[in-house]
Amino acid sequence: MEPVIEVRGLHKAFGSHEVLKGIDFAASKGEVVCIIGSSGSGKSTLLRCINLLETPDGGAILYHGRDILTDGTINMPKYHAKVGMVFQQFNLFGNMTVLENCMTGQMKVLKRTREESMENAMKYLRKVGMEAYVSAKPRQLSGGQKQRVAIARSLAMDPEVILFDEPTSALDPEMVGEVLSVMQNLAQEGLTMLVVTHEMGFARAVADKVVFMDQGVIAEEGAPAEVLGNPRHERLRSFLRSML
Amino acid sequence: MPTASTSFFGWVAFLLQKYGMLFLRGTGMTLLVALTGTAFGFLIGLLVAIVRATSPMPTLGRRSAAAAVRGALLRAVQLLLAAYIQVFRGTPMIVQAVVIYYGAQYAGMYMDTTFAAIFIISINTGAYMAEIIRGGIFSVDKGQFEAAHAIGMTHWQTMTTVVLPQAIRNILPSVGNELIVNIKDSSVLNVISVSELFFQAKSAAGAYYRYFEVYFIIAVIYLILTLTVSRILRFIEQKMDGPDNYVIHGSQSDSRAEIVVSRENAEEVEKRWNQ
Repeated sequence: MEPVIEVRGLHKAFGSHEVLKGIDFAASKGEVVCIIGSSGSGKSTLLRCINLLETPDGGAILYHGRDILTDGTINMPKYHAKVGMVFQQFNLFGNMTVLENCMTGQMKVLKRTREESMENAMKYLRKVGMEAYVSAKPRQLSGGQKQRVAIARSLAMDPEVILFDEPTSALDPEMVGEVLSVMQNLAQEGLTMLVVTHEMGFARAVADKVVFMDQGVIAEEGAPAEVLGNPRHERLRSFLRSML
Repeated sequence: MPTASTSFFGWVAFLLQKYGMLFLRGTGMTLLVALTGTAFGFLIGLLVAIVRATSPMPTLGRRSAAAAVRGALLRAVQLLLAAYIQVFRGTPMIVQAVVIYYGAQYAGMYMDTTFAAIFIISINTGAYMAEIIRGGIFSVDKGQFEAAHAIGMTHWQTMTTVVLPQAIRNILPSVGNELIVNIKDSSVLNVISVSELFFQAKSAAGAYYRYFEVYFIIAVIYLILTLTVSRILRFIEQKMDGPDNYVIHGSQSDSRAEIVVSRENAEEVEKRWNQ
């Protein structure tokens, strides 16, 4: 099956510090890939490169086989709409209500009408169970609620892939569940997801593939049962022990 | 007509009666040049700040000659704008006023004094506003830019729909400050005979040689103006922040149609909601 996103030989350095030292991996349609590893291993940088929030220094990022770094015919706003992102810190637009947060991208980027955008936004706000809060401002919501709205904002763009950058790491423990269950539903509906996470239970239950990153390279990857249940590398074994 | 033995307040009452209209017209002119000058200054500052905060677009390997030219042009304009800010923040407004007013005459252009006043206050304020707004843009969390880019907004869309509304809210106190400064400092424009409050006071004071009384009156007028403006600005800030409460909308099948939630009881309401 042709991968939706494929990364080849990706390099990224901040100054003299090399964060990504040649990453190769691919995600097919409908696949859920969980990226694990200790902090500083380059997980977040990898996601941020795929979304072009960071400019890679070398390698290729293929979207349906076309390199977004060199192919001038790709419409970048459309690419961003197709590859959504959910952030650790939610990053909801502070000057807008919950509903406006989910509408503005549709109207500005996809040029949808206000009615169409609102209908679509409501559909996804219902899906994440936040339809009652349409008129609330982000500062009035709890962390878990904010993250569910952020997921709805991303879904409202009708993306093919959503990149999740530690979506539950900034949440109080009792709010992690509500966000993970929303994500699990999305996975079951066939959304392609790349998830940087420390939630090993989620990775075990939901992921099709687990990627373990260590010091800027992919040290181990495979089915969750294999990678999490029978780790081959010593570093992965000690990482998993530290997670317990 | 007061005599030599007339008290201070007697003079004040007399001068108010005699020159009340004059002071009122002066107050009107002061408000006109300060308000329009601040408004135009704000627009100038906004444009300057946006250009100064623009970084050359990352070209992602598609480095072209056109992109290089655009980058060089942007840097040249940014340099020019930095010079503008330095010059107008680095010289007193009273000096800017005479240099521009008489400089224009030197070049054969005789400016209307009201136009000159608004022009001078605008470009002077623009230089300060540019820095205030630039600070406001940097005060907006980086995550807001990232989230906007991540859903595909262009730099311009990100600025106008996400960043500037928040930046402007953050800098509103400083913008109000500039307006208050302009109400007071427009008095220096009397050097080019703008008929604002201080200029009118000068002519009134000269008529009876009652300097202290007249300047005392206009000091009170200036104070009333600035206090009123501060109050109005505070009110606008509160309006912009919106209500502390929000309404929970129920579905049609739900009898608990609408519940007003404040920050204090939000959690409790949600618990009930989830039962």
